[in-house]
Amino acid sequence: MAVTQHHNESMADHPDSGRNNRIIDVIGLGKDFDQNGQRLAVLSDVDFHAADGEFVSIIGPSGCGKSTLLNIIAGLSDQTVGTLRLRGEDAVNRLGTVGYMQQKDLLLPWRSVLDNAILGLEIQGVSKREARDRASALMDQFGLDGFEHEYPSALSGGMRQRAAFLRTVLADQQMFLLDEPFGALDALNRAQIHEWLLGLWERLKKTIVMVTHDVDEAIFLSDRVYVMSSRPGTMTLVMDVDLPRPRYLEMVTSDAFVTLKAQLLAAIRKERAS
Amino acid sequence: MSVVKQTPAHRTTTGPTWGASLTATGIRWLPAIVIVVGVIGFWEAYVRIFDVQKWLLPAPSIIAKTIGVDAGLLWGHTLATMEEIVVGFTLALVFGVALAAAIALSRTVERALYPFVIASQTVPIIVIAPMLLIWVGYGLAPKVIVVALICFFPIVVNMVDGLKSVDSDVVALMRTLGANRWRIFLKVQIPTSLPFLFSGLRIAIAFSVIGAVIGEWVGSSEGLGYLMIRSKPQFLTERVFAAIVILSAMGVTLFALVGIVEKFALPWWHREHGSEI
Repeated sequence: MAVTQHHNESMADHPDSGRNNRIIDVIGLGKDFDQNGQRLAVLSDVDFHAADGEFVSIIGPSGCGKSTLLNIIAGLSDQTVGTLRLRGEDAVNRLGTVGYMQQKDLLLPWRSVLDNAILGLEIQGVSKREARDRASALMDQFGLDGFEHEYPSALSGGMRQRAAFLRTVLADQQMFLLDEPFGALDALNRAQIHEWLLGLWERLKKTIVMVTHDVDEAIFLSDRVYVMSSRPGTMTLVMDVDLPRPRYLEMVTSDAFVTLKAQLLAAIRKERAS
Repeated sequence: MSVVKQTPAHRTTTGPTWGASLTATGIRWLPAIVIVVGVIGFWEAYVRIFDVQKWLLPAPSIIAKTIGVDAGLLWGHTLATMEEIVVGFTLALVFGVALAAAIALSRTVERALYPFVIASQTVPIIVIAPMLLIWVGYGLAPKVIVVALICFFPIVVNMVDGLKSVDSDVVALMRTLGANRWRIFLKVQIPTSLPFLFSGLRIAIAFSVIGAVIGEWVGSSEGLGYLMIRSKPQFLTERVFAAIVILSAMGVTLFALVGIVEKFALPWWHREHGSEI
């Protein structure tokens, strides 16, 4: 069982998808925007969930409402209809509890790399000294050793992205939303950062929801991949990725990986055609 | 750790040696020096060849001599003008930044006060200055107010623009990190606005010299503007020019000073954009 039509709920028999284990649970969610007096449905009847410690990806074309969905989960905006539960509770005041890393690194140019990393801790009221100590301890793991006191403008694209990720990790929220975090990186940097990210995720034991348009990236990293259609955005496919962990770069050429990719691509193509 | 280690190598690649950077500075200023020397040379030659009277147009050499001879007198008036500028500029800075913050924080304040800020600039200072004499008296106050009025506008407008130029994605990031409106203002809006503020300060400091002179013209007993207005009817044209030279030097120096303060206050900005002064 790999590819299922979403609406027949056949994924309910997955061992990790018991309702009480769901840290993020989105049920029948919809979002309308007003555009020149007309109602524009951006999201419609979205069902989506992530269990504690899971890595879940959402694939979809540009403008399908992926970012809108992340904005709602993060608390930056609210849904028009439907339910959003975080840790099993209706999440009213969720802003600040969900880590959100956007495509742009959004490092503040007037802060050193170290002081950018501690932004979340500072806002939480941790003293600057302690925050800096905690960040310094992680610099090496994030490949930023020796760059603590540099301004972001001195960093390469990959390093800036890792610094932004360090800022997200240090804020110590239980779940992270990543919106096409590696879109700006070249293929070599991407492959490297994928392996690194998986290592980190396994240590942190956090829940990660990642939006991407890269099928390989989604399969390689995730426990489960959602496919989203556009206008209005809704989940059209769910695929469990049962590749063993830990995962290595070499796996992308393995039979199991290629089979999953073929299934996913075929399903996406079929979806586009209909 | 699979991420390739990189070391901060740019430190050694950028930043030329001292000698090279001094030479570069010399080359950068060469055109300005050539023009100044050329203009002064032509002026001097013209006055000598056509034997122009010094009450009509004094030669640069005579102006220089006047500055030397009248040094004590000029110095006293320079200090008076400088005091007006410094106090007026500081007042404009304090009130300008406070008003800009209020405008950026509150829509109501913006709608209520911003039109008046703009309207204040359309009132001719030359008309207001004599009124100030009647309202606040004859001392330092009216000149300081004129300077402050002139400096106020570029400071407020630039600072408001800066406070509003914040990337909405950064605001979203701050909110997901749990920051409230005030934290976002302090940690993002203020730092973002500082380069804008310094642009406003450069304009303001250049205008402040004019403001002080206008204030003195209307009514005063000291300052370089007062000295000019008193020297002209006495046909001491070389003294008028000496005052102009000192005022110009004062303006350039103050402008450069703002640039230097900016360089120290915003090192990150200069790392990214570079700057002449």
